[in-house]
Amino acid sequence: MLEIKDLHVTVGGKEILKGLTLSIAAGQVHAIMGPNGSGKSTLSYVLAGREGYEITSGSIRYRGEDLAALKPEERAAKGVFLAMQYPVEIPGVATLTFLKTALNAQRRARGDKEIDAMGTLKLVRAKAKALNVSEDMLKRALNVGFSGGEKKRLEIVQMALFEPLLAILDETDSGLDIDALKLVAEGVNALRSPERAMLVITHYQRLLDFIVPDRVHVLAKGRIVAEGGKELAHELEARGYAHFVKDAA
Amino acid sequence: MNAVLPLVEARRAKAGEVFRARGVPHRRVEAWKYSDLRASLEDAAVVEAGTAVWTLASLPTGVESFDLGDLSHAPDWVSRNLGTLGTIGAMDAASLAFAKGGLALRISGAVAEPLRLRLTGQGHARLLVVLEPGASATLVERHGAETNLRNTGTEIVLGAGAQFEHLRIAEEAAEGISLAGIEATLEREARYRGHFTNLGGKLSRVDSNILLRGEGASAELSGVDVLRDATHADVTTHVDHAVGNTQSTQIFKKVAGGKARSIYQGVVTVREGANGSDSRQTAKGLLLGDRAEIDLKPELEIFADDVKCAHGAAVGDLDVESLFYLKARGIPEDEARNLLIHAFLGDALDQIADETLRGEVWALVEAQLVQMGAA
Repeated sequence: MLEIKDLHVTVGGKEILKGLTLSIAAGQVHAIMGPNGSGKSTLSYVLAGREGYEITSGSIRYRGEDLAALKPEERAAKGVFLAMQYPVEIPGVATLTFLKTALNAQRRARGDKEIDAMGTLKLVRAKAKALNVSEDMLKRALNVGFSGGEKKRLEIVQMALFEPLLAILDETDSGLDIDALKLVAEGVNALRSPERAMLVITHYQRLLDFIVPDRVHVLAKGRIVAEGGKELAHELEARGYAHFVKDAA
Repeated sequence: MNAVLPLVEARRAKAGEVFRARGVPHRRVEAWKYSDLRASLEDAAVVEAGTAVWTLASLPTGVESFDLGDLSHAPDWVSRNLGTLGTIGAMDAASLAFAKGGLALRISGAVAEPLRLRLTGQGHARLLVVLEPGASATLVERHGAETNLRNTGTEIVLGAGAQFEHLRIAEEAAEGISLAGIEATLEREARYRGHFTNLGGKLSRVDSNILLRGEGASAELSGVDVLRDATHADVTTHVDHAVGNTQSTQIFKKVAGGKARSIYQGVVTVREGANGSDSRQTAKGLLLGDRAEIDLKPELEIFADDVKCAHGAAVGDLDVESLFYLKARGIPEDEARNLLIHAFLGDALDQIADETLRGEVWALVEAQLVQMGAA
């Protein structure tokens, strides 16, 4: 599904990712853990195609295709989804309008028939309910006045709606209390499938108690410095990042 | 010939003197510092501009009209009011002095159907709108493109409890100078809602002076500019809270592409003793071109103690975080930009209460955005 080879990325002239290699097969959930400043969010933005993140060498192949050659909206239509750490507030755009516009843009790009407002509402309603996102929220402007937890839940509603093949969750646990965390994790787990790959990026092991990964990678100073099974997350929690970061230096 | 007609003629003669004394305003006149009218208009052209053409689509019941082209037969309600306000300045004075025609409307009851007025051709025009106590009406004033000067002066007299919704829509007139002076006086509990849509001109300016002189009176001003190429639009407002417990809100949104220039100047005065007054002013600009310019200048002059006044102004580009978010969800760049521009303009256009009229203004704005390549 996703093959990243020796990826070097600079942001504003500064190299953040320094030879990152990672591969994820369909059906798997991988976790990336790392301290602040290790390059976690840079990786997620590079995968989603944000401007200002320059790949200086290495490659990203997604389902056999050069991901870096695609625009962000093309990536989305081809099944890449990034649940953002800080979902933006957009005053003046109703949440449901946004969902309909995005869903249809993706469908149009794939050559599928567009869905009208009623059809969108039907689709969204069931998925929103499971994540405790009310219809009132759907009518309000996108993320405006939403709590941190509500914003993160809406990200997962979108993930359920767009049914991506590769889902990247960037610190989806940050700002969530334990109940919200469980709700979000349930939503994510419900989307695990043999066709879908997930990359869960987090600072803390806590989220991984609920979304149990197949593989854990430790990112430090722009490189993967350790890899292992789900038990690695517990080891990190027990020993701290310093132990791994020292090895990377 | 009625008894007060000489008074009207005296007001017009005086207005002529005011214009001749001051001449066409220029950038050294503080209120015109962003819009140098004299750079593109000479005094003689103003005097000789002639009279613009107006057409009123229909006259609903409850509305009395009078053609100002024939002042010798002016009814009492016209001669008593015409030219009595006259506080805006030289160009407003010019429209009173030199217009040989125009329209006066008197509304006595509740008129649901909007009055649709269209102005075409060059020259001056004078409008007078009188709402009797408790009356209500909506006026849609649409200005077609003109290649020379169009200068309208509008006086609005709202009796106690009267409600007047006023939409002024100026189509793009890249070669034209379009000037509007709008003065309204509001008695107790009267409400004025003015919405100005401006698609730009060589120089386009709306001067709006609102006098809240009865307790409980309120004014809600709003508008959008959507400008391209080298067009220029200026909205200058003055809301005067002359007595207490009066309210005003203003929300202006401006989009400028190309080398266009958009201006908002808004002064809110709360006079001494006008306690309990409440005023809010918002002006925001969205720049779509590297060479576009937006100037926003909200001002407060407060001489009362117990008032609530807030103002805010901000100019920026389309938010890159928002654009990325939308694109990352599959929405192509152009569509994402369009969505954000619509969202930016939305709350100003939402001020138009009537859904049909709001739809008409949106259609014009959207067509203009398409012309700009922004939609």
